[in-house]
Amino acid sequence: MLTTDNSKSNKSDKVDNNRRNNCTNIIAYGNLPQNKEYVQFGLSFEEYKKINDILQREPDDFELGIFSAMWSEHCSYKSTKMHLKNLPSKGDAVIIGPGENAGVIKFDGDYVLVFKMESHNHPSFIEPFEGAATGVGGIMRDIFTMGARPIANLNSLRFGNFNHPRTPYYLSEVVKGIGFYGNCMGVPTVGGEVVFDSCYDNNILVNAFTIGIAKKDAIFLSSACEAGNLVVYVGSATGMDGINGATMASGEFDASKDKKRSTVQVGDPFTEKLLLEACLEAMDKKLIVSIQDMGAAGLTSSSFEMSENSGKGMILNMDKIPLRATGMTPLDIMLSESQERMLIACEKEKYGELEGIFKKWDLNCVIIGEVTKEKEIQFIYKSKPYHTLPVEAVVNGPSYDRPSAIPLYIKDMKQFLPDEYRMPKNFNSVAERIISHPNISSKHFVYRQYDYQIGTNTIIGPGSSCAVLRYKEFNVSINSTNSAALNSVALTDGLAELTNNSPQPQKDKQEQHHSPQTQKDEQEQQDKIDKIKNNKRGIILNSNCNSKYCHLNPYKGAILAVIECARNISACGGTPVAITDCLNFASPEDPEIMWQFKEVIRGITDAALKFNTPAVSGNVSLYNETAGAGKIYPTPVIAMVGYIDDVNKAVTSDYKDEGDNIYLLGRLRGNLGGSLFMELVHNDFMQEPLSIDINYELKLQSCLRALIDEKLIKSATDISEGGLFTAVTEPALSSNENLGVVVEVHRDTLRNDMILFSEFEQAFVVSSSHSNGNKIYEFAKNADIEIEKIGTVVKDVIKFNNIIELKSDKMKERYYNAVEKLFDKQ
Amino acid sequence: MNIGLILMKNKKINAGITVFPGSNCDMDVYYALNDVFNLNVSFLWHKDEFHNFKNYDFIVIPGGFSYGDYLRAGALAARSRIMESIKEYADGGGIVLGICNGFQILLESGLLKGAMLTNKSLKFECKDIYIKNISGNNRNNSHENPFTCLMEKDAILKLPIAHHDGNYFVEKKKLNYLFSSGYIAFQYCNEEGVISDDSNPNGSMENIGGLFGENFNVMGLMPHPERASEKILGSGDGAKIFNSIIYYIKNK
Repeated sequence: MLTTDNSKSNKSDKVDNNRRNNCTNIIAYGNLPQNKEYVQFGLSFEEYKKINDILQREPDDFELGIFSAMWSEHCSYKSTKMHLKNLPSKGDAVIIGPGENAGVIKFDGDYVLVFKMESHNHPSFIEPFEGAATGVGGIMRDIFTMGARPIANLNSLRFGNFNHPRTPYYLSEVVKGIGFYGNCMGVPTVGGEVVFDSCYDNNILVNAFTIGIAKKDAIFLSSACEAGNLVVYVGSATGMDGINGATMASGEFDASKDKKRSTVQVGDPFTEKLLLEACLEAMDKKLIVSIQDMGAAGLTSSSFEMSENSGKGMILNMDKIPLRATGMTPLDIMLSESQERMLIACEKEKYGELEGIFKKWDLNCVIIGEVTKEKEIQFIYKSKPYHTLPVEAVVNGPSYDRPSAIPLYIKDMKQFLPDEYRMPKNFNSVAERIISHPNISSKHFVYRQYDYQIGTNTIIGPGSSCAVLRYKEFNVSINSTNSAALNSVALTDGLAELTNNSPQPQKDKQEQHHSPQTQKDEQEQQDKIDKIKNNKRGIILNSNCNSKYCHLNPYKGAILAVIECARNISACGGTPVAITDCLNFASPEDPEIMWQFKEVIRGITDAALKFNTPAVSGNVSLYNETAGAGKIYPTPVIAMVGYIDDVNKAVTSDYKDEGDNIYLLGRLRGNLGGSLFMELVHNDFMQEPLSIDINYELKLQSCLRALIDEKLIKSATDISEGGLFTAVTEPALSSNENLGVVVEVHRDTLRNDMILFSEFEQAFVVSSSHSNGNKIYEFAKNADIEIEKIGTVVKDVIKFNNIIELKSDKMKERYYNAVEKLFDKQ
Repeated sequence: MNIGLILMKNKKINAGITVFPGSNCDMDVYYALNDVFNLNVSFLWHKDEFHNFKNYDFIVIPGGFSYGDYLRAGALAARSRIMESIKEYADGGGIVLGICNGFQILLESGLLKGAMLTNKSLKFECKDIYIKNISGNNRNNSHENPFTCLMEKDAILKLPIAHHDGNYFVEKKKLNYLFSSGYIAFQYCNEEGVISDDSNPNGSMENIGGLFGENFNVMGLMPHPERASEKILGSGDGAKIFNSIIYYIKNK
C-alpha cells in the first residue's frame, strides 16, 4: 500500500540513492522494535522504516518529531492527495489553484480575490473557545500571507444534537471564540451555517472561511526564495502551546481527550491585527521576497515548505528564535504552533527597512537564518551544527491508495414509498416543530455576536440566502501619518443629504464663478462619479452541506452541497464563479469511510464541472471520530464565491410588501427521503434522497438570475431543509412587518406532506408585485421552466392548503427564540 | 449648487483620524470622510510627535480594539502620547468625535465623564439600533454644537452598533448633572422614538448612547455613523452627524 508521491518529480540524488539502498536496509529493519516512540509520534511501522531508509540509520527524537509532523495526515494529506487531484481546478477565472496558501481568482479590473476554507475541528472539541478562535486566526493568516487584505469571514459549524447536555457549551464557546478573533481583527463575519446533529455529539466541526482582495500583480507566494535571502521570523514569540497539534489532529479521540489540552493553540487577535498591517505594509513596499505563515506544525512546515516550493534550502539558527517559555527543546521550538507568526525571506539590503516596519508595529522581527541553494535544512543550536535534514524527503511524505468498500447501510438503502408512512393528522403542530427546529430557525443569536458590518462593504449580511459585499478601491496598508489619499470614488449619498436638507451658507453664492482651477477640479470630480458607476460589481458568498444526505448517498450529497451554494447565489441574483472545500470525514483507515470520501470527490467534481466552478483551494479533516462513540457523517462543506454585476440589484429572501404575488419557479417531485420531516415525524430518514438533474438546474438558475437582473422580483429563496412550507414561510417571518402568506399548491400525484416538506426540490419561491406577473410568466416560458402562482403575501397569518393556519407573530417568536431556548434547558 | 462645488469646498476641511495599535474602524472612517464627504483626511499615528493639531478642523478617534482591549477597553490608549495632544486640542476648543472604542478612550482619558461596563447580555452585540437626538432639550441649543446642529430636535437615527463593552455607567449624582446641563447627546430608543429597557441594547444607564464633553466640542458615540453614511449600507443616517460637523466648521 505504501507508495511514494511522484507528483513532485525533482527528487534529489541523495534521496534516490537512499531508495536504491532499500534492499540492504530492509534486512536491518527486521530487528527494529515495534513499540518504539514512533507510535507516540503517530507514525506507522512502515513509515518509520521509510525514515530509516532516508537517513540510512535510526532517527533520533528531533528527526522523528520533524518527520512525524510533516508526514501527519494533517500536513501531508497522505490518504487523500491522490484523490484530490481529480477535483477540477482550472478555469478562466482561476489565477492560482490548489497548492499555495489559498486560491486566487480574477475579480474586477486589476483586482483578484483570494480565499480558502479550513477546518479546526479537533482543537475546537478539546478547547472550543481557543480552538475556534485560532481556526479563524489561522485562515485569515493564509489569506494575508498572499498579500490580500481579508474582507470577509464565513463559518460552517456543526454541533451535536441540541438536546445533548454539552451542546449549549460548545455552541456558546465556539461562537464567542470566533467573535473574539474576527471582531478584533476588524474582518466582518458575514455568514455561514450552524447545524445540529447527533453525529457530531463527540466531534464538533469548526470550518472557517476567509476571502481577501488584492491587486493582481501584488500576490505573494512561498515559492520565490533565492539563495542568499535572509530568513526572517516575525510576530509573536514561540511558546509551549499547540506542540504536536498536527499529529493530534491526525488521530481519533479516546478517553484521554482532556490531556490533549496543551496541543491546542492560544490566540491573540490583537497581535494578529498588528501582523496583518505590518505584513501588508511591507508587501506594499516590496520588501518581501517570499512568505509563509506558521500554521500546522509551525516553524517546521513553514521552513520546509517554503524551501521545497522554492527549490532551495535554509540554515536555521535555533538560538535566534524569540521564545516566551523557558526550557524549550529544539523540537519543542520546531513543533510549537504558537499563533501570529510568519516566516519571511527578504533581500539582505532591504532588511533594515523591513525591520523598521515591524518595529513600528511593536512586533518581533529577527533574522534566524539564510536561504541556501543546497536543498536541505541545516539547524544550528547552541552555536553548533545540530542536524541537517533533506527538504524533499521530509516534505513529500507517503501517499496511500487506501482500500475502500461500499458500506452495508448503503447496500440496504430503500426508496421512499409514501404508502409505508401515514400522513400526520395535525399539520399545524408539524409546522410549528419544523419552524422552531434549531436547524431551521433564525441564527441571530449566533451572528449578532459577530461584527458583520465592519469594512462598510456588507450590502446583505447574515440571515439571508447569501452575504453580498461591494468592494472599494483601496490602499492595502495604512502608512502612518501621510497615507496617500485613497481618493478614488466619491459616493453622493451623504452629499445629497447636505444639498437637500441643510441651510445653504450665504457665502457660497460669491464663489460660484468658475476659475480655470475649479473647472479642472470639477472635471476630476465628474471622473470620480463616472468611475463609481462602473464600480458596482459585488461579491456573493455562502457555504453549505447537508451531511445527512451525504450519509445517505455521498455522491448525491456532494452534488447537492455544490448546487445548494449555487442556488443561494442565484437567488441573490449572482453567478457562481469558484469554490473552496473543507472535507470532514471519519478515519480513512476504515474502507467504508474511504468509499464515502471517493464518492464525495466524484460528486463535487461532476457538479463543479457542470457549474464551471473550479475548486481553487481546500482542506481535508479526517479522523473525526471518537472511540466507542461513533463517527461523523461525511461532511464536505462547500463555500462558493459568486459575482453580481450590480450590487444594487441583489435580492434578499424576505417578502417586502403585503399583496405581492408568490410564485413557484421550477418543479416539485415530492420525495421525502432523508428529509427533516421524516426524521421529526417518522423518526426514520434512511431513504434514498432525490436525484438532481444538473442540466435542468443550470437552466432554472439562469432563468432566476435573468428575472432578478430585469428587476422583476422582490425576493427569492430556494427549497432546502424544511421543504416548500419553510421556503414560503421563512420570508414572511424574517420580514420587518408582521407579514404572512396564503398559499395553495396541489398535485394529483402528491400527498400534502410530500408537497409541503420534501426538500431540495429543483425550484425557487419568488415574490413580485402583481403588475410584473405577465412578464415573469413570459421569461419562464422562454426559458422552458415551469412557473405557477401559488399564493399571496398577506398580514398576520400563515395559511397553506387549508391544512395549516397559524398566527405570524406566534410563529415569528418560535422562529427567533428556538436557538436561545437551548440555553434555558441548562 | 452642484455637487462638484460642494465636494471642492469640503476638500478645504482637514480631518484627522487617530490610529492606535488595534484600531480597526480607522479605514472605514477614512473612507466615509474622504470618499463620501470628500474632506482632506489624514491618519494620526499614535507614536508620532505632535505639537498641536491646530491645522485640523476636527479629529475622530475611531472604533476598534486599541491595545487589544487589554486592561480595560480604551484604558491603554487613553494614556498614550497622542492623547496628551488630543486633550490639549480639545481644551483649546478643537472638535473631537470618539466612536465606539473612541468613546471608551474619551471616557478613560477623562475628556468625558463616566465609564463603560460589559454589555448586560455579557456578549458582543452587533445590530442596527435607533438613537434619539436629545441635545437641545436643555440650555444647550442643538444648533450650537458641532455634532447635531443640522438635526431636528428629537430626530431618530438608525445606526449600527458593534461592541462588547457599551454599558454606560456614571454615579447617580453625576448622571443628574449630565442631564440637567444638557450633556446627554443621544439615547437609545425604538423605531418610534420610545426610550425604554426594550430599546436599550447594552444596559446603559438611562439608555445613554452619546455624550458631550464639558464644552460641547467633544462627543462620544457608541453606534457607528461611518457604517451608515450611504443608503446602500441600509441607512444613511450617520451622514447627519458628519454633515453637522462639516456645516458647523464651514460656518463657525
